[in-house]
Amino acid sequence: MDEIRGAVIGFGKLGLLHAGLLNGLPGARLSAVVESSPLIQRVIRQHFPTVEVFSDVSELVSGQLPACAVIATPTGSHVQIAGALLEAHVPVLIEKPLSITAGEAVPLAAALDRHWVPNMVGYMGRYLDTFRKARELLQHGVLGPVRMVRSSMYIEQLMKRGEGWRYDPRVSGGGVLITQNSHLVDKLCWMFGDVRSVSGHTTRFVSAEVEDHVHAYFEFVSGAVGYLDASWSARHYRTPTISIHAQGDNGTLDVDDDEVRVCLDSPAGGLVSGWHRWRKPDLYQGVPLDIGGPQYSLQMMGFLQAVRSGSGVESDIASGIRTQRVIDAIYASARSGGAPQLLEATSR
Amino acid sequence: MTLLPRIVLGHNAFFGVDHLSTRRGAERAAYFSDIEHVMSVVNEAVSHGAGGLMLSTHPRATAITDRLRRERDLSQQLQVFPLLPYAQKYVTRANELGMVRVVTSTLSEASVRDKAGLGIDFLRTVLRRDPLDMVRALMRLELRTFRRLDVPVVFLHDALADLLLALDQPMVFGVFEQTLRKRFGTRAGVATKNLPYLVHRFEQWGLRLPVILTHVNKAGFHVNPGIDDCEAVLQRTDLEVMAMGTLASGYLTPDEAFAYVRTLPAVKSLVVGASSREHIAETFRAIGLSQ
Repeated sequence: MDEIRGAVIGFGKLGLLHAGLLNGLPGARLSAVVESSPLIQRVIRQHFPTVEVFSDVSELVSGQLPACAVIATPTGSHVQIAGALLEAHVPVLIEKPLSITAGEAVPLAAALDRHWVPNMVGYMGRYLDTFRKARELLQHGVLGPVRMVRSSMYIEQLMKRGEGWRYDPRVSGGGVLITQNSHLVDKLCWMFGDVRSVSGHTTRFVSAEVEDHVHAYFEFVSGAVGYLDASWSARHYRTPTISIHAQGDNGTLDVDDDEVRVCLDSPAGGLVSGWHRWRKPDLYQGVPLDIGGPQYSLQMMGFLQAVRSGSGVESDIASGIRTQRVIDAIYASARSGGAPQLLEATSR
Repeated sequence: MTLLPRIVLGHNAFFGVDHLSTRRGAERAAYFSDIEHVMSVVNEAVSHGAGGLMLSTHPRATAITDRLRRERDLSQQLQVFPLLPYAQKYVTRANELGMVRVVTSTLSEASVRDKAGLGIDFLRTVLRRDPLDMVRALMRLELRTFRRLDVPVVFLHDALADLLLALDQPMVFGVFEQTLRKRFGTRAGVATKNLPYLVHRFEQWGLRLPVILTHVNKAGFHVNPGIDDCEAVLQRTDLEVMAMGTLASGYLTPDEAFAYVRTLPAVKSLVVGASSREHIAETFRAIGLSQ
């Protein structure tokens, strides 16, 4: 098996994690880094003598091309960097969220129409064991038609005004909704299908320019309705904590990072009626290398497999644009006092 | 080589870390915000035979080490095993400041707070920005919490250690080990979620294997790449492994959990979590330390 030589663009916290996985997982190696900070460039040159260092993506694509690239820069630069890589036919894994708005990312879809290469958006939450199990149960139809969905994402991150690009909407696209909570929006679309309309409200507690809290009501194309509630200024949540509760005609499903529970009225999907519970250790399977959690390893392994075989993945740019459209619609609704916003019907 | 205490009390419950239940973690963090509740569990564990306390550099650790320094009778029976850095603190701050500024601002804030002890040295480090000097400076900063306590081993947190293993960076492990040995007179330990990977890397680098802190449980929870590979390594008698997560965060019963760990010669010491008197009694009975 040929070793896949991968580049990392943006050597911050997530860039380092992806660099570690690229370098440490079997069958891949870190070959290049694009990083604008001269200080970090110097550190990389000192400690990674075999890794090429560039200050701009244009330098990377004008030399020997890597077999794939991971983009872990601030959100506002994703589209321009991914565009340059796709034009050079380099498969990309783009950190989430994909872009500041859905419209901004449409040229990436057009570039893929011209010349398709494997592409992925880093919604690693899809690789968390409990959520994978929950989606599998939903896909087996154990709940019957889903009627109602309740969901939340909380973390105690921002109890006073923050500094840095995440709190500058021109670079981040917005506050908690588009940053951490884009994971929950992506999960809702992944688990319950396309969204027909949303209405949203956003609130600032501590930030000057971005929202610290969002509450949004959803109508799914399937007919299910529900809401999400999210904040990064929520006490007692040490790490980002997502939970989802769904009610269907045949029972209920609860899922969070710790466990999945279903209660079924009638047997379905090979399960008897009544309560079923899967805790994290029930679902855990080892990974060849765990750095920031197995979900990142599984995501990178999925991406490398796609690069190796030239195949697609579920969490691709097209899916990222659909998630982004829901986020855009929640912001648009919030700006108009919560008026419902219809989304265009898209096929999944 | 000093012998490791057979039982080391873990700190996760005190700081709200719970790998099985986020809600239980948050409830325990609230309960243990009262230092008296922490000290009651520590005393109870020592009376049952615990000889060590694992302690990350969580903001609340200072209150615990202050008490241990004051209570000499207790601290003479209890070795302290620091785990650093407290990764979540840096990860959350990095969201705001970016990684370079997290390090430089942590160091410069410390130098302003404590000019006499650290000022000049720290600022010079910040200005020079040599990454390995930064490692030494951050170690000094984090280890201040543990001064005048019996610290036989200092562990490097798995969040950092596993990244360095993956990036093939032996030099940082070398600096960590030398700084601990020369400046602090203690041994280096490394926490990992990738035991066979770590052993392979260290042997490839020709570095002496550190004391290893890693998950060991028959449920295979947090055991990578899988239980068979880890068991093969844990059969080695030349390794010093401190086993954590032996109960798989409460998924296994103490009896089945410890019966399994006893079959693995590399495991020299157990890190056990405890949040109440009843919990301690059950755990230590299962280990075979008390009736």
